[in-house]
Amino acid sequence: MRLPQFEYFAPVSLEDALKLKDQMRTSAWILAGGTDLVVNLKHRLLAPAALISIRNIRNLTGIDLTPDTLVIRAGTALAQVASHPAVKEHFPILVKAINSIGAMAIQHFRGTIGGNLCLTPRCLFYNQSLFWRKGKGSCHRTGAKDCLALKGSESCQSICSGDTVPVLLALSASVRLVGLGGSRVVPLTEFFSGLGESPYHILPEEILTEIRIPLPWAPISWSYQRLGMRSAVDFPLVNAAAVAVLDKGKVEHLRLVISAVGPAPVILREAEKEIKGAQPEPRMADRAAEIALRAAGGVVVENAIQSRDYRVKMAGVMARRAVKEALRL
Amino acid sequence: MRKQLLSLTVNGDPVELAVPPNYTLQEALRNDLGLKGVKEGCSEGVCGACTVLMNGAPVRACLTLALEAEGADIVTIEGLSKEGWLHPIQEAFVNLGAVQCGFCTPGMIMASKALLDRIPNPTDDDIEAALTGNFCRCTGYAKMRVAVRTAARELQEKAQD
Ligand SMILES: Cc1cc2nc3c(=O)[nH]c(=O)nc-3n(C[C@H](O)[C@H](O)[C@H](O)COP(=O)(O)OP(=O)(O)OC[C@H]3O[C@@H](n4cnc5c(N)ncnc54)[C@H](O)[C@@H]3O)c2cc1C
Ligand code: SF4
Ligand code: FES
Ligand code: FES
Repeated sequence: MRLPQFEYFAPVSLEDALKLKDQMRTSAWILAGGTDLVVNLKHRLLAPAALISIRNIRNLTGIDLTPDTLVIRAGTALAQVASHPAVKEHFPILVKAINSIGAMAIQHFRGTIGGNLCLTPRCLFYNQSLFWRKGKGSCHRTGAKDCLALKGSESCQSICSGDTVPVLLALSASVRLVGLGGSRVVPLTEFFSGLGESPYHILPEEILTEIRIPLPWAPISWSYQRLGMRSAVDFPLVNAAAVAVLDKGKVEHLRLVISAVGPAPVILREAEKEIKGAQPEPRMADRAAEIALRAAGGVVVENAIQSRDYRVKMAGVMARRAVKEALRL
Repeated sequence: MRKQLLSLTVNGDPVELAVPPNYTLQEALRNDLGLKGVKEGCSEGVCGACTVLMNGAPVRACLTLALEAEGADIVTIEGLSKEGWLHPIQEAFVNLGAVQCGFCTPGMIMASKALLDRIPNPTDDDIEAALTGNFCRCTGYAKMRVAVRTAARELQEKAQD
C-alpha cells in the first residue's frame, strides 16, 4: 500500500518544531513512532500537508525522576518506559499495560508513550481501507454528517484505544502541552474531549512534551485488566485500571477507570465514592461491576469487532476483576 | 514532491539514496536496493513479514518512513549469511522444517535474531513473546520455537569456541 503525498520535516529542536506547527497548524501532524499514523495515512483517513517528525528532538525522549513526580518525555519508546528502573519500582501497572500492547516488534521499539496517549480513536467503520469504506458510505470522520454506528449522532463515537490511557488516568497523571506562546500542564482528567473527531484538548499549535505521574505518597495496590481478541495484534476491546491505597484495613484512596468503551475513558466516580473509606469486602467488586455496566451502557455503540452487548457486559467484568485485584479481595 | 537525500547503513554497507517523503523503508529496501527478502504482506503493521533490524531492534519496515531511517544501521535477511554460509538461525529453520512456503520466514528470522541478540538463552515464553507479532499461515509455529531454541544452543556453542 502506497502512502499519500506529504512534506516531511525532522527539526532538531523543539522550538523549530513549534514554529512549523504554529505556521501549519492542523495541516501538519506530529510523527512519533508512526505505528498508528502511518497505517491511517495508508488507509487515506488523514490528508496532512506535512509530517513533523520528532525523532531528532533530543529533549523529547528520556525519563526523569524528581522528588515528587516521574516525568516521561512524550517521544520515549514504550520499551524504554517499561524497562526503566523508576517505572518498574513505582508503577509496575504501567509496565503491565505497555507489555500488553500488541506485538513487541510493532510497538515496543518504535511506538512511543506520547503516540499511545494521542492515538487516533478507532471504529470498525473507519479503520478500513479506502476500498472497504467506499462500499459503506461516509460518516462524520470521512466527510459526511452522520455516524454509521449510531444514526443521528451529532458527533463521532469512535473508541479511545490506547492501553496506557486508563492506567495513566488511574495514576492521576497530567500532560505538558507546549506551544510557541508557552506551556501548560493539563491533568488527564481534562485532556479528553469525548468527541471522536477531535478527541484531545490539544491546540492546533501545540505539541505534547511530557507525561507527569505524581509519585504515590503510600504504597499502591493496583490492577490492569484488558480484554482483546488476538493478544499480539488487536487493540483492547475494553480495559480497566484500578489504583488503591490500603491503610489500616481501609481503602484510603481509589481511582477506577474503564476505557476502550467510547471516545474518552470513563472514571467510575460513583464506585470510588462508595468504596473509599470503607473496609474492602467482596460486594465492592460486584458494585463496581454494576456501575461499570451502567456507565458502559451509556457510551458503547455498535462499532467494534464484537457486539455492543458483549462489550458492555465485559466492561462490568473488567471493572469487577480490577477492583478485586486492587483491593486484594 | 521533492526527493530528499537519505544516508544509512544497510547490511554493513553505507548507502545513499534519494527518496520521496512518502516512501516507506520497505519500498526503499525492496525497490531501490533490490532486497526482496523484505516481504510485503499486509502493509499495515499486522503480519510482521517486513520485519528488519533498525539499530538492533526489530521494526516493521512497512510502518517506517524511509527518511526516518536517516543514519540508522539496517539489517535485512540478506545480511545474515556470511561468505555463502547461512546464519545458524537460517540453518535451524531449514533443517527443522520451520519453513514451508517461506513468505513469513525472513520476518520470523529477523525477529528471532533480535531476540537472540538480546537474550542468548531464551525460554519458550521469551521466544513466543518475540514472535507473536509474526504471522505464519503454513507451519503452525511449533517448529519455529524448536528452531530458535536450536539456533540459540548453536550460537552459544560457537561463542565458546
Ligand atoms: C498491528 C497493530 C497493533 C496495535 N495494537 C495496539 C494495542 O494493542 N494497544 C495500543 O494501545 N496500541 C496498539 N497499536 C497502536 C500503536 O502501535 C501504539 O499505540 C503506539 O504506542 C503509538 O505510538 P507511535 O509513537 O507509533 O504513534 P504515532 O503513530 O507516531 O502517532 C499517533 C498519533 O499521536 C500523535 N502524536 C504522537 N506524538 C505526539 C506528540 N508528542 N504531540 C502531539 N501529538 C502526538 C500523532 O500525530 C498521531 O496522531 C497497534 C498498532 C498496530 C499497527
Ligand atoms: S463512530 Fe460513527 S462517525 Fe465515528 S468513525 Fe465510526 S461510523 Fe464514523
Ligand atoms: S507487511 Fe509490514 S507488518 Fe505486514
Ligand atoms: S511458511 Fe508459509 S507463511 Fe510461514
